[in-house]
Amino acid sequence: MLAIEINNLTKKFKEKKAINSINLTIDEGELFALLGTNGAGKTTTIKILSTLILPTSGKVKIAGLDIIKDRQEIKKILNVSPQETAIAPNLSVKENLEFMAGVYQIKNKEKKINELIEMFKLEEVLKQKAKTLSGGWQRRVSIAISLINEPKILFLDEPTLGLDVIARKELWNIIKKLKGKITIILTTHYMEEAESLSDRIGIMSKGNLVDVGTSEELINKSGTKNFEDAFIKIATGGEL
Amino acid sequence: MRTLNFAIRNFKEIIRDPLSIVFSILLPMFLLFVFQQINIPNENYELKNFTPGIIIFGFSFITLFTAMLISKDRTTSLLVRLGISPMKPIEYILGYILSIIPIILIQNLLFFILAIILGLSFSINIVWSILISLLIAILFISIGIIIGSIFTEKSSSGISSIIVQLVCFTSGMYFPKELLGNTFSKICEILPFESCVTIIKGIMNNNIEIINTKNIITFLIYSIIFLIISVWIFKRKMISDNK
Repeated sequence: MLAIEINNLTKKFKEKKAINSINLTIDEGELFALLGTNGAGKTTTIKILSTLILPTSGKVKIAGLDIIKDRQEIKKILNVSPQETAIAPNLSVKENLEFMAGVYQIKNKEKKINELIEMFKLEEVLKQKAKTLSGGWQRRVSIAISLINEPKILFLDEPTLGLDVIARKELWNIIKKLKGKITIILTTHYMEEAESLSDRIGIMSKGNLVDVGTSEELINKSGTKNFEDAFIKIATGGEL
Repeated sequence: MRTLNFAIRNFKEIIRDPLSIVFSILLPMFLLFVFQQINIPNENYELKNFTPGIIIFGFSFITLFTAMLISKDRTTSLLVRLGISPMKPIEYILGYILSIIPIILIQNLLFFILAIILGLSFSINIVWSILISLLIAILFISIGIIIGSIFTEKSSSGISSIIVQLVCFTSGMYFPKELLGNTFSKICEILPFESCVTIIKGIMNNNIEIINTKNIITFLIYSIIFLIISVWIFKRKMISDNK
């Protein structure tokens, strides 16, 4: 079954086209990475798919539901971990989880929170205020919070941006554990992250989705030796 | 339930910032205490007149904290996370307003306890003035929502301090408006802060006659307009921040 179905999606900000007639389908349980240079349209795409902003034209279906007509229903089945960690700074880790459980009106609140604590190994920082956590821990908490409503689709916007190698690897392991269980759409600037984690990769440039495929397919198509070169060639249209 | 859940979170965020307690509760209490120790030959500084001024002065810090909380929520993308959730804009606004009410009650209780210790006689009118002050606080919270929705975390505190200064100079808490001439008097009448102090003063002292229709209309017009603007700007900013 399709998790996401995008047909001719366009987003204009005044006269400027941020996204230009994108077509894409993402399968249920797939981990799809969206790559692109700054201003390529990745974040705008994520914001439309996650119901934050409306498209200018085109059709988007999330789990078979229409992004405009069924907005409130869609909100219940997706979640996002934004670029900034988006956690309440003066609340403890446990309180952050409880707060978001309240936002989504989770019925079995304690059980769900305990599951997440165990899954993300949050026990040691549970009583710590979020603002005192390291960058790696904040990202971990941010992703844990975004799973509170057991979303069918999870958007991870640059989840490892600014993290050291160890913290990044730890987060990769967490993301790998989620793989297959839910549909994940990940945006990143790190080539190795996209290559290592995702089933398929979409490359965006100047608002266009210029190519989609597995990392091997993209390397073969571009006739390059590695994925980084493939990305540069595809994103720049071979200018570099 | 979502509103209450959000309000509890906001309350914890504010109360856990020690500066908010110092400015919104301890500073006004300090001023109330100090001005009663100095024998100033001016009726403005009599407890029955100065306490209502201190209450409204304390509210100007409520504007500051509301503005800072909202601008911080915007900066940290918490509002992005909540924007994706099933929460509706009205639930945010009510959540922000509800979270401030316990702080207002704490402020009022402590201000009146100190005023009574300093010599203010207790009467049931104090309870009425606390209840009316909750309504007045909506004006200050609305101003905070507007500032926090427009400005960044850093500039929110600076802009909000203008409100603190306006309350000091135009509410008539420190000196009668006539002292600085006709133009200044007119400004004080146009702005809502003097009306807010007069309403509390009239109720607290069982002297309703000092509250005129102009005071009530000025307060109501500002409160309604600022509340509507705050909802409108907050909704617009939630969308435009995500563009």
